[in-house]
Amino acid sequence: MNEDLQKKISDAIANPQNMGELANADAVGTVGNSDCGEMLRMWVKFKDENGKKVIDRATFQSFGCETAIAVASLATELIRGKTAEEALSLKTEELAGELGPLPPMKIHCAQLVEGALRSALEPQEAKPAQPTPTSAPTLLDSFSKPKEGMKITFLDETK
Amino acid sequence: MRDVLELYPGAQRALFRRYHIGGCSNCGFSPDETLAQVCQRNGNLDINEVLGHIQSSHEQDAKIFISPKDLAAAVQQDKSIRLVDVRSREEYEAVHIDGSTLLSQDAMRQIMGDGSNTRPLVVIDHQGKQGLDAAAYFMGHGLQNVRCLRGGIDAWAQEVDTKMRRYKLGS
Repeated sequence: MNEDLQKKISDAIANPQNMGELANADAVGTVGNSDCGEMLRMWVKFKDENGKKVIDRATFQSFGCETAIAVASLATELIRGKTAEEALSLKTEELAGELGPLPPMKIHCAQLVEGALRSALEPQEAKPAQPTPTSAPTLLDSFSKPKEGMKITFLDETK
Repeated sequence: MRDVLELYPGAQRALFRRYHIGGCSNCGFSPDETLAQVCQRNGNLDINEVLGHIQSSHEQDAKIFISPKDLAAAVQQDKSIRLVDVRSREEYEAVHIDGSTLLSQDAMRQIMGDGSNTRPLVVIDHQGKQGLDAAAYFMGHGLQNVRCLRGGIDAWAQEVDTKMRRYKLGS
């Protein structure tokens, strides 16, 4: 990877924007699954502006890959004030914004962001956000999900 | 790659974070491949740069760890330290460090949303194996003061709170 791109990614990672769950979101989209380390979830909240429904705020949660976090950070800033249609019309390379053209092996990371956005904004403009049901698999599950068949045995009982 | 992973257990995390290699089957590698082969088929990466990144990540991993004794002293002095337990609920209910919080969605929301990315946070796992991933997750989200308990709660039970019951997991 060239140094310039790496620096831009590092800068975006050092101060990522719009990270974390958005309370009362109007739409939420998820792509990937946390098991393979590639998961991105995006929350979108709309507001009315001059009679148009535009994106007031978008946030994201991602796991692992620096490029996906960097792109999501930039993309969530970029789509503010846009309608769902305008946001959906953005091309993958536009979402990556100031990161500039990504090398082929990294385009996949930006596509992850595009997919999450699409999942949040399609098919209808503002499907009501699921209030993150506790039964749905989330990133956190990978940290603390109960280990099936893993019985806890105290060592002082085995002596 | 088998040797690389054995020498640098955090190599997979380092490779994925920067180069998007080894995250899932699409970008994975085989243990029998050499690092040079992996670099070559991933856009001809400079192997020296990649190796340097793995090594510096390894050094950084080592810096993330805090010993049980140091943590015990630190929590006495700094009450703002947040102890985040990433084990399962069953393990947490069996034994936990006083003042620690089991990581849950609510806890995560609080951590991410309390407006401070400098408040110290220490990740606690069972034996210091999974905690680094969780610490990397928090750091990847911009938290700047994240440590991981070396040896996990098992080391804590041996070095600090010897009355705490140790346990093993198994079927």
